[in-house]
Amino acid sequence: MNRLIRGEFAKLLGTRLPMWTLVIAACSGGGLTGLLALIGPENATPPLPGLDTAEGVGIVVGMSGLLLFAPALIGTIAVTSEYRHRTIGTTFLTAPRRGRVLAAKLVVFGVLGVAYGVVASLFAGGAVALGAAVQGVEIGVPPLVLVMLLVRLSLAAAVYMILGVAIGALARHQLLAVGIVVGYFYFLEHVLMIIPGVNAIHPYLPEGATAALTDFTFLSDAIAEQLPLASAAPTSPMIGALVLLAYAAAAACIAVAVPLRRDLR
Amino acid sequence: MSGTGVEVAGLAKRFAGVDAVRDATFNAHPGRVTGFLGPNGAGKSTTLRMLLGLTRPDAGTALIGGVPYRDLDDPSGTVGAVLDIAGAHPAMTARGHLRAYCALGGHAAANAERVAEPTGISAYLDRRVGSFSTGMRQRLSLATALLGDPAVLVLDEPSNGLDPAGIVWLRTFLREYAASGRTVLLSSHVLTELQYGVDDLVLIDRGRVTWEGSLAEFTAHGTSLEEAFLRFTSDAAPRTAPGASGAPIEGVRA
Ligand SMILES: Nc1ncnc2c1ncn2[C@@H]1O[C@H](COP(=O)(O)OP(=O)(O)OP(=O)(O)O)[C@@H](O)[C@H]1O
Ligand SMILES: [Mg+2]
Repeated sequence: MNRLIRGEFAKLLGTRLPMWTLVIAACSGGGLTGLLALIGPENATPPLPGLDTAEGVGIVVGMSGLLLFAPALIGTIAVTSEYRHRTIGTTFLTAPRRGRVLAAKLVVFGVLGVAYGVVASLFAGGAVALGAAVQGVEIGVPPLVLVMLLVRLSLAAAVYMILGVAIGALARHQLLAVGIVVGYFYFLEHVLMIIPGVNAIHPYLPEGATAALTDFTFLSDAIAEQLPLASAAPTSPMIGALVLLAYAAAAACIAVAVPLRRDLR
Repeated sequence: MSGTGVEVAGLAKRFAGVDAVRDATFNAHPGRVTGFLGPNGAGKSTTLRMLLGLTRPDAGTALIGGVPYRDLDDPSGTVGAVLDIAGAHPAMTARGHLRAYCALGGHAAANAERVAEPTGISAYLDRRVGSFSTGMRQRLSLATALLGDPAVLVLDEPSNGLDPAGIVWLRTFLREYAASGRTVLLSSHVLTELQYGVDDLVLIDRGRVTWEGSLAEFTAHGTSLEEAFLRFTSDAAPRTAPGASGAPIEGVRA
């Protein structure tokens, strides 16, 4: 198993994917968060709570949670390019016990997901600190609370990367898999969020669970204000974390089990 | 003579209405180069993929040294394979690719440079695979197959993309490989490609092995190699040859 993990790491590190992953992480952590932190949330339209309040910090940091489809997409592209470039054939020839190969792959991409989350968090945290300094205000939460918020975001990034790996292993075809990821995280979950009745399950979908985990209720609150319907209340961060881990576990089982019996073409 | 041989018995595989392989039965012996010959679409690639566990057979068994490929203790140290469905990532350098599969197969990293030498890619090791010509890619595939110093080589149309000098070089290489007591099984749809390079011949036609034996026996059947080949791959082929079941076959393709 160790040798498979080392092999999968060597395969990953030989490509440019890790570098792009960290660049995207830095942009998603620093970009949206940084912009909002610098202009000051209270200057946005509509005005949001400022960085000197806990809500303000939560919203600014939670913005990078909106970009979590990025690690999912990276995981999907990594796995489907194995099918596209037929390296999966070379891999299964070298290590014919496929379940173990996929398990090693999940470990490797879990690590890459955490690396994504840590880099995104460092940039998001830096952006908040910089924004507060520029505006001459105190950050609205104690440092430890901010750090914990960022740790939760990192965890979510790792889970999303694993979800992406599973979707890639399932779909195999690159465009199809990318379509599924973008279609789901960009479109379907938002639609589900506003359909009366159905939106009751939203807190238990990946995005809703992430929102609960990171205390990011900005979107559902906004929808509740706009639409005359009972918005599904987010669950607690703990339940959000458990829901996300359950998704990751289910995705991991799918990713390991599905390729076992399929013919390679 | 001890060594690791290949035994294929009764393999069959059907793809959505197409009998790709119906009854493939043959052996490849240590110390010999076995040519696996058949026209396009005869089922060569499908048979070799089943032998290597990439495609699941509907029936039959394929053993390497008496064990299915998936159950080998050291798969890439026992069998090296060149298949069209096994490739290298274009963004990786040849060295990076070889090192990664050394790690994955549990072989020493220095093997990457060791296999580059006989396959003639030492000078290209630090180039990205995406910039390789077809022939260089084929050499890299062979180098990858050799990483674990395997007792068996299984090659599907290995001379694709090689220039004439490369084909001669490959033939010599495989001869020497077999001469050291190892098993070489290579497929081709070109008869003349095999006539100087193999000891044994296995003929496959429309999914069925129609003849198996030494090259010397094969040429004794007809006046020329070509004539013998056509006799065993045409509709008039006698089904009483070794390895064939003798029952008449429903032709899938006219
Ligand atoms: N994945 C697949 N799905 C459907 N049909 C397939 C598949 N793979 C192979 N076939 C069919 O099975 C038959 C045997 O194909 P195979 O690739 O094994 O032949 P081959 O002897 O390797 O031919 P060639 O000399 O052209 O490489 C062909 O009719 C082919 O169309
Ligand atoms: Mg073929």
